Amino acid sequence: MNRMSKWKKWKEGNKKGGRMKRLSAAVLSAALCMSLLAGCGDGAEKGTQAPPETPEGTTTGETTAAAETKGEEGNASSEEKVIVEFWNVFTGSDGDILRQIVDNYNKTNTDHIEIRMDIMPNDQLQQKLPAAIATGTAPDLVLFGVENIAPYVSNDSLEDISDFWEVTGVDKNNILENVLELSHVDGKLYGTPMQYNVSYLYWNKDLFAAAGLDPEKAPETMEELAQYAEKLTDPSKNQFGLAMPTSVTYMQFLWANGGDADDPATNQNLLDSEENLKTLEWLQDLMVNKKVSPENITGPEADTMLQAGQIAMYMSGPWQINGLREQGINFGIAPCVAGSAGAFSPAGGCSYVIPKGTEESRKQAAYKFMQYWLTDDILKEWSQKNGFPVWSKTLMEDPEIQNDEVLSAISKATEIGRSYNLGYALASQIDNDVMIPMFEKVMTGAAKPEDALKEAVEAMDRVLAQP
Amino acid sequence: MGKSRKSFRNRKSKYAAHNQKSAYLFLLPSMLILSVFIFVPLAASLLISITDMNIFMKDVSFVGLKNFTRLFADRRVGNATFNSLYFTLLEVPLQIGLALLLTMCLAKNNRYCKLLRSVYYLPFVCSMTAIGIVWSMLLDPNMGLIAYWLKQAGFQTVSFLKNPDLAMPTVIAVTAWKGFGYTLTLLAAAVLNISQSLYEAAEMDGAGGLQKFVHITVPGIWPTISFCIVTTTIGAMQMFDQAYVMTQGGPLNRTETVVQYIYDRGFQTAPNDLGYASAISVYLFLIVAFLTFVLKRFILGRGEDTDE
Repeated sequence: MNRMSKWKKWKEGNKKGGRMKRLSAAVLSAALCMSLLAGCGDGAEKGTQAPPETPEGTTTGETTAAAETKGEEGNASSEEKVIVEFWNVFTGSDGDILRQIVDNYNKTNTDHIEIRMDIMPNDQLQQKLPAAIATGTAPDLVLFGVENIAPYVSNDSLEDISDFWEVTGVDKNNILENVLELSHVDGKLYGTPMQYNVSYLYWNKDLFAAAGLDPEKAPETMEELAQYAEKLTDPSKNQFGLAMPTSVTYMQFLWANGGDADDPATNQNLLDSEENLKTLEWLQDLMVNKKVSPENITGPEADTMLQAGQIAMYMSGPWQINGLREQGINFGIAPCVAGSAGAFSPAGGCSYVIPKGTEESRKQAAYKFMQYWLTDDILKEWSQKNGFPVWSKTLMEDPEIQNDEVLSAISKATEIGRSYNLGYALASQIDNDVMIPMFEKVMTGAAKPEDALKEAVEAMDRVLAQP
Repeated sequence: MGKSRKSFRNRKSKYAAHNQKSAYLFLLPSMLILSVFIFVPLAASLLISITDMNIFMKDVSFVGLKNFTRLFADRRVGNATFNSLYFTLLEVPLQIGLALLLTMCLAKNNRYCKLLRSVYYLPFVCSMTAIGIVWSMLLDPNMGLIAYWLKQAGFQTVSFLKNPDLAMPTVIAVTAWKGFGYTLTLLAAAVLNISQSLYEAAEMDGAGGLQKFVHITVPGIWPTISFCIVTTTIGAMQMFDQAYVMTQGGPLNRTETVVQYIYDRGFQTAPNDLGYASAISVYLFLIVAFLTFVLKRFILGRGEDTDE
């Protein structure tokens, strides 16, 4: 009885302000449904993320092509085409150039090889790849930073490809030794080099001129760097002399004064030194007292500000060059600055590797593509388009390379490259648990240099003590 | 009335006795989903937490309680626990208080209130990732809109997400901003269910607006409030997305929560020690279970009392 009357009332009410009520009910229910979907979306995003930053236009073409070839595989005519699944972390503008090269290879190669490329952020690759290798669903070819090779090898997750030179006939003596070394672990070859780089000092010539500095002369010592940075900082214009992102390491400064972090060969802790303390004090003065850098910025934020002309100097890798060119910034490239012990710059690079358990025919196909990459034509295209240094000896003789202004500036800056824990399985832990927190505390002024250093020495001991 | 309820109860017990099988059939789909996504992972993380498994999942061996003893010596676990509690203690009262305050004004069924309630609900519909990105852009000290406004108004630029002392309060504010619309919707619905006669009686006794709110509205919707407190607290203890997107746990690990540290150990920092990450997950599970138990005992229990 009671219930019936309520129902009637509701119905009557509905008749009166019906439209409004229905409308708001519809809006609210839509919102509720959306929130459910959004909830689902979150989960799905994490689980099955589609390859991000796929250039428009190629996506649809590719998926249909993939569907077709999948069908072919099912029809047992797979002998015709060898498909190589290829994962990499080139999410920037260099990824587009890499895709062009791969597409071109797919069209022109006579071995019926199809490279199917999947670009993802490094974070995501590091989550997916180990699990994929463990469950036998790994791709056949991976391109990632050389610092990853050692941890993967120590977990027996990469194919030993020491027979690469013999199988393909590529002359390994044509490749600079220090570059090749980065793909070795315990004398065995696990990858072939794709690119090699060190950090350079970029400077904005227009801002130098405006501040009354010689626009063609970059600072060469740490003192000069600090002086210039102070002169170039103008908070009223939101302009900073030197961008120093936190959450990265600054080995170039520790090395410049003769300090170091650790010795990978002997597992020795080298942090506790007068030289390091001196460097950290200099760094804190630069950041906290002179305030030459925006507070606590991230790398990508620094990139954007450099491209916007808000930053006069910045130490970074070759991947800045394209962005700076596009934004029309008048910039120069110099080697990292020197301290009392000389100038050094942390080296890095990327290598092609083959995950453990890759089937033989696909491994051979991957070899073919690696061989293709090591031809001078491709290496030249990559270096010229992206501004990466050249490390093929025959290519270094190429007059076009020798006359390239950017590339010749880079090759000078590349000479001071030095390996920082590359090939060391504990490298990423040392960075994340010891070095980055130490630099962050010093640079934000959260701790005195001697306290931050002391804490880092203890943290380093703990990391190195691991089996 | 009483008679019919009794007969209904009898009918129900008979019905249940005869149809247990179909009851289990109805339960099956959700049990399947729950097993795949909740029960099995829960058991798995318990198991993994006593091994030294890493992300490569090779040569796994049992290490007993070593991961747990290591956990209590780890300063970053303490720091992360502090941050999670700090976040929860500020975010939950802020979100529920804000919703409660607005309920006072918006628990009416006119157009204006309905529109506002829907508008406040909108951020809840969006993904936290999108909201985090938008807010970090707005708050950016070098190119953000809010920094620009502050500058126009003659204030110094403040880097909300970069300053170690301001980062966590900023993340809390953004989270409360996203969530309060949901709480508001629940509370408003509960308020609208309170019988008008109670308010009329109070008015006759000479009660003012605040008195009516404290003595009628709040007790009347207490079960809903306590439900919101419990669910928001559980959600807040598991906070991850907003800090991951907006601060990455920084500056100086001041916004690193327990879940974020679990993610860092398991998936970001080599040697990707899943065993240790699982041990921290179990530790978080125990904290959340304890908090839920306490809240249920002291808040939900009280709600049931007032109900009867």
